[in-house]
Amino acid sequence: MSDSKNDIVLEMTDIHKSFEKLEVLNGINLQVRKGEVVAIIGPSGGGKSTLLRCATTLERVDYGKIVIGGDVLCDTISGRLSYCDKKTEKEIRSKFGLVFQNFNLFPHFSVKRNITEALIHVHKKSKAEAETICNNLLMKMGLIEKADEYPCNLSGGQQQRVSIARALATNPEIIFFDEPTSALDPELTKGVLTVIKDLAKEKMTMVIVTHEMSFARDVADRIVFMDGGVIVEEGPAYDLVTNPQQQRTKEFLAGY
Amino acid sequence: MSKIKIVSLIFRFYISILRGTPLMLQLFLVYFGPYYLFKVNTGSIAIGPFNYRFIATIIAFSLNYAAYFAEIFRGGIQSMSKGQYEAATVLGFSKIQTYFKIILPQVVKRVLPSVSNEIITLVKDTSLAQVISVTEMFTRASAAASAQVSVVPFIAAGAFYYLTNLLIEAILNRVEKSMSYYS
Repeated sequence: MSDSKNDIVLEMTDIHKSFEKLEVLNGINLQVRKGEVVAIIGPSGGGKSTLLRCATTLERVDYGKIVIGGDVLCDTISGRLSYCDKKTEKEIRSKFGLVFQNFNLFPHFSVKRNITEALIHVHKKSKAEAETICNNLLMKMGLIEKADEYPCNLSGGQQQRVSIARALATNPEIIFFDEPTSALDPELTKGVLTVIKDLAKEKMTMVIVTHEMSFARDVADRIVFMDGGVIVEEGPAYDLVTNPQQQRTKEFLAGY
Repeated sequence: MSKIKIVSLIFRFYISILRGTPLMLQLFLVYFGPYYLFKVNTGSIAIGPFNYRFIATIIAFSLNYAAYFAEIFRGGIQSMSKGQYEAATVLGFSKIQTYFKIILPQVVKRVLPSVSNEIITLVKDTSLAQVISVTEMFTRASAAASAQVSVVPFIAAGAFYYLTNLLIEAILNRVEKSMSYYS
């Protein structure tokens, strides 16, 4: 892995974000290189999800700079924050995928349409092309026989795998996972984690907010521990889990 | 609800008035209003075979029921989870695509039972049109009942209302069923 600037897929610099008076992100710096898997861990309310939501355009930051796949989403120059225009934002949205904690599949669409709809109507692919992409992904997820089912007829684990397929369909440069297994029981969790593990082997760039500590240790290249709106500690996954340096990190990991 | 404050205020006022006053009063207002307020000779207004009595009925019912339907759809739209909008947003759907492809089809399914209720009430409410002397079914039944000194015309009228609604119910049930492929 080289350190060249071109290899950086996500760059968040000095990100600040508050809701009302509550400071949720208090100067976050995060860089993710191509092919890197970064796990974000930390207690609830520590700002992990908000950070992800800011990176995925679902929340606006108050201060800082975000660059995704070379495009500047927002920048703060001499104290003034400005966001890119709508066209660039749309461009940026095609560069990442987001997997939600509670899937957010479209219940009135079949599995197949959940995956192909954006390909056809946003990315202007032909129906045949979209279906080829869809079938390949469903095959990979072990869900090819579910293509014509509706989400309500799938288990939570299957739904989450469909939503991963949906996020992968547009061939994004980076995928964000917001606690992808928190809504699943341990047995279903396994299937979803296996899929993410496979993606890591294929060198998919991923940022994963998770509470699955052993998964983070085994799959991530790097772990970021967040609390109180700041990054308390970060480092190579195995080192951080087995030998945390900060007192706060030690306390948190002791709970697992 | 509209983010533009004045637009939202206008519609809230409209809905509040139309739902908060009797439909019969609204019928009177639409029927007599143009003459009393602007001296418009409504007697000469006609669209094809429909005189102003009939047109006024259509206008008053539309305005009144639009208010109720607006409320039903508002409730339906607001019941959609934020996640649906967010998933659509990150997939790159425009606001219009999100509304028509993702939100509205789900809202229609959710509000259908309430809409069915309103449609059935609407059929029965047409009997109100007699107050501006539209010769609708109930007017006819009343006339026949007093001429014949009999309740049979009322029973017949009731049967007609009921059969009409039975048909509507059957159609709406089919629509509901056609949308039951997901829950």
